[in-house]
Amino acid sequence: MNKKIIWILLAIASLIGLWNLIHDQSPNSDTDQDKLRYLSLAWQEQSIAANKAIVAEWNSQHPDMEVEYIQGTWNSIHDYLITTFETKETPDIFHYESAIIVDFAIRGFLADMRPYIGQEMYSDILDIAWESVTRSNGEICGIPFLMESFIVLYNREIFEKNGIEAPSFESPWTWDEMRQAALALTQDTDGDGSVDQWGVAMGLRSAANIIMNHSISFGGSFFTKENDLYTVRVGSAERPLLNLIMDMLYVERSMAPSSIGKTGAAMLPEFFSGKYAMMVGIGSWARQQIVENAPTGFRWGVIPPLKAQSQDIGINTQTLSIPSTSKRKEHAMAFISYMLNQENMALLAASDWMIPTRTSCLAMDEFRTVDDGWNIVNASVKFLQSGSWLGVPGYVEWKTRVANPIFQELFADRFTVDEAAERLETESNMVLSRYQRGGARW
Amino acid sequence: MIKKEGRITLNIKLKTLKRGARSAFIHLALMMFMIYLVFPLLWMVSLSLKPTPEIYSADPSLMPRTVSGEHYRSVLHEERVVRSILNSLYVGITSAALVVLVALPGAYALVRYKSYANNVVLGWILTSQIFPVILLMVPLYMILRSLSLTNSLLGLILVYVVWSMPFVLWMLHGYIKTIPIELEEAATIDGATRIQIVYRILVPVLLPAIGASMLFAFISAWNEFFLALVLLKSPDLLTIPVELAKFTGMEGQARTGPLAAASFIATIPSIVLFAAIQKWFSSGLVAGAVKN
Amino acid sequence: MNRHKGSGQLIFLLPVLIPVVMFSILPLLRGIYLGFTDYQLGGGIKFNGIDNYIQMLHDQYFWRSFRVGFIWTITVTAGQIVLGMVLALLLNTRIRLISIYSVLMLVPWAMPPVVRGIIWRHMYDPDAGALNMVLMSANILDKPINWLASFEYAIPAVIIAGIWGEIPKAALFLLAGLKSIPDDLYEASRIDGAGIWNEFYHITLPLLKPVLAAIISLSFMWNFNTFGLVWVLTQGGPGGLTRLPMLAAYEEAFRYGYVGYAAAIGNVMVIIVSLVLFTYLRVQYREQVLS
Repeated sequence: MNKKIIWILLAIASLIGLWNLIHDQSPNSDTDQDKLRYLSLAWQEQSIAANKAIVAEWNSQHPDMEVEYIQGTWNSIHDYLITTFETKETPDIFHYESAIIVDFAIRGFLADMRPYIGQEMYSDILDIAWESVTRSNGEICGIPFLMESFIVLYNREIFEKNGIEAPSFESPWTWDEMRQAALALTQDTDGDGSVDQWGVAMGLRSAANIIMNHSISFGGSFFTKENDLYTVRVGSAERPLLNLIMDMLYVERSMAPSSIGKTGAAMLPEFFSGKYAMMVGIGSWARQQIVENAPTGFRWGVIPPLKAQSQDIGINTQTLSIPSTSKRKEHAMAFISYMLNQENMALLAASDWMIPTRTSCLAMDEFRTVDDGWNIVNASVKFLQSGSWLGVPGYVEWKTRVANPIFQELFADRFTVDEAAERLETESNMVLSRYQRGGARW
Repeated sequence: MIKKEGRITLNIKLKTLKRGARSAFIHLALMMFMIYLVFPLLWMVSLSLKPTPEIYSADPSLMPRTVSGEHYRSVLHEERVVRSILNSLYVGITSAALVVLVALPGAYALVRYKSYANNVVLGWILTSQIFPVILLMVPLYMILRSLSLTNSLLGLILVYVVWSMPFVLWMLHGYIKTIPIELEEAATIDGATRIQIVYRILVPVLLPAIGASMLFAFISAWNEFFLALVLLKSPDLLTIPVELAKFTGMEGQARTGPLAAASFIATIPSIVLFAAIQKWFSSGLVAGAVKN
Repeated sequence: MNRHKGSGQLIFLLPVLIPVVMFSILPLLRGIYLGFTDYQLGGGIKFNGIDNYIQMLHDQYFWRSFRVGFIWTITVTAGQIVLGMVLALLLNTRIRLISIYSVLMLVPWAMPPVVRGIIWRHMYDPDAGALNMVLMSANILDKPINWLASFEYAIPAVIIAGIWGEIPKAALFLLAGLKSIPDDLYEASRIDGAGIWNEFYHITLPLLKPVLAAIISLSFMWNFNTFGLVWVLTQGGPGGLTRLPMLAAYEEAFRYGYVGYAAAIGNVMVIIVSLVLFTYLRVQYREQVLS
């Protein structure tokens, strides 16, 4: 009796296995050989629709090079890519961001795209965008198509009520002017003894990113390179921004303490309700969230990049790349060239509320209108700069392990700027040494 | 006589009063548990019924100020969600049934025959439960590919069966240990074989444990995200967690309304399944089995 | 009862064995082996003996995360077992609506993980979160607390969310255990006039011992291994306070590319957690663990 059952189970198992062998062979080869696979990270309804429309159009024109649209998500893309790099089944074209793909390229996962890029595209896309995807050896590891930078948003109604005029692009605010405005706008409007309208909010949960990108306007770079070795310095150029934030949080109390645990778009509900008069350090794409989700009649605007020594600010681009394992790199690039031609790039940028990287797109009226602050966002492109951290080996670990935790402790007022600076320097150099001296650690 | 009767009624009244107080207390305690356990679901349902601008309100309320079905419409409008629920049901139910079917004799063998194998199994359970799963993805994928089991729900089912096995095996082992051996000895004398013992005598006694194990295996499979993401390529095969993830976006933002609506829909099958299995939990079976 | 010893057991275990070897043991062996190599993403694999482990001795980040890991694991496990036990005992009574309660208790477990984190983040929001609102309207707090960004409250906050997610499993399996205790045993004690506590201590607990040992051990490992909810809530912050060891291992492999080192961390965790569990089970039960 027992034996019988074992045999039956084994027979069933092998039957299923056999059925599966026959059944699965065909669809597998279908997807692997016939179609190019394109992984997109679009997530807003309009931008998903735009992506799908472009793919459908391409497929109708190129029946021999059909593309399969794959919907990726920002939360899982990293793990997905790493796993598929290892199993050599990465989609032929994938969407990600410049801050990370350079590291992928160094590890040999990405194809060098230089041989495939057409002259028209190369000259039309901004140099600063190309810089964000170029390795030190000159290889290009992705086509930058959407640009992003941090912007400042303000509540028009609150500004008007307090007689504060938002600066024009021609005469921008300095950080100190912003700070004075914030102080004036921080109010207890209902007179219950506690502040209910904060001058400014800064989403500092992933503080390193915000601090590094904004420090550029103070001339701060954090990373310096000597004899091919990177070190971290927190000197007179890096400290002013840290001091300013600490003063606004704990001396003048004009920055909302609740915002230090949030990231960009998570601050929107309080922005809509008038609790935050300004938001510093929010991605330009967040404007779309405002247009879609704000209560009717909510009036807002964009403030030009704040000025310290300059108005420069860090750039990050979204990219399309081809894995080194792809067997059809020319085809993949042909699709990318189509996907990112002038017309389609404009469509993608508009649907995602990001800045297109083509000069010809930036010249289009739809990206220069006063509506929703496009004019200011567009004009600010000239301030975009690559950060000093571009290409620093170990930057990701430095950010997660050292910079974010130390900045979080600093902004929670658990130590002074001096102490933070000291800890940043010693701990940073410990982490960086892991990457710079052949892997030996600590 | 009258006096005595009066005392008896008084006694009964006191007893019912006591019983009433006791059950009131139990209800109260359960209510407190339910607030803690169910409140997040209520919040989710409330989000799913709010129009988008209200979701972004800085002064949210549990009861939506305006009730709107827009998110449910947009979720159900995409047939992918419905399709993925069917896929997940297939994967979840099959793997739950297989796990119990296979783990039950296994657990029984571990309790009743003691050998070196027990230590091997324990070692496997510990290692498999502690070692970071994410590091196993690549070798696992390679093995599945060599068996042509990638991009297939069957491959997914087999892996889920193996993944929830350690948990189910050890739990069932615990339950079988609590069963008095006399129960089986009587049957052995009657000439029943081991397999018969397991399926005829232990299963009725173990029904609540089997129900709990099946539910565990079902929910584990129902919620598993990363393997499904990596393994499945055809859009028609995707499971519900992979579909749900598509409502999330950058910086931890999400299309909250549709996500909440789809999540609520995805919560229902597990609840329904438990409501069905719940009958197995009604007591009485065990007492009967032992007496017989 | 122990006729044909080995072979009988093997026959019972055989159907399990094939898939287990293929989909669990082989990948595990590969993973364990990687822990003795210098494998980095994109690089070659070279055996390097115990180098990874020597490095780990000096890795302060790793040991710091281990401390948080044990605080998290012990509190969540204890919380879920104690509360799950109370809930199971309450549900093991015969009052009205009991079946509705026992279905509802499952809710946290049935909610898709992707939405759990988002909902809890909503609840802990310093401005619009339900928790601050309730506590402030009840006058327990006079100003809002920034739960997830605060160094005092971040750990308790994630633990409360963690326990919430795990209670249903504990309660369900313990309830199944309670249901398999024959009623006659309780009836006998009721005649003896034993109190509720005595009844629990002298009848329920001893009979539930194997089930309790299993659920405690399994939950302990489970909680040690899970970081998804915490990751969504705090991303390891503030100040690295909630960086659980599994999260650290994940980041080593998938973010920084040190796969060999991450596997080595996995191996060390297997050994340490196994030792903890063995000690617990030995002390608690003074018998062979899986017997």
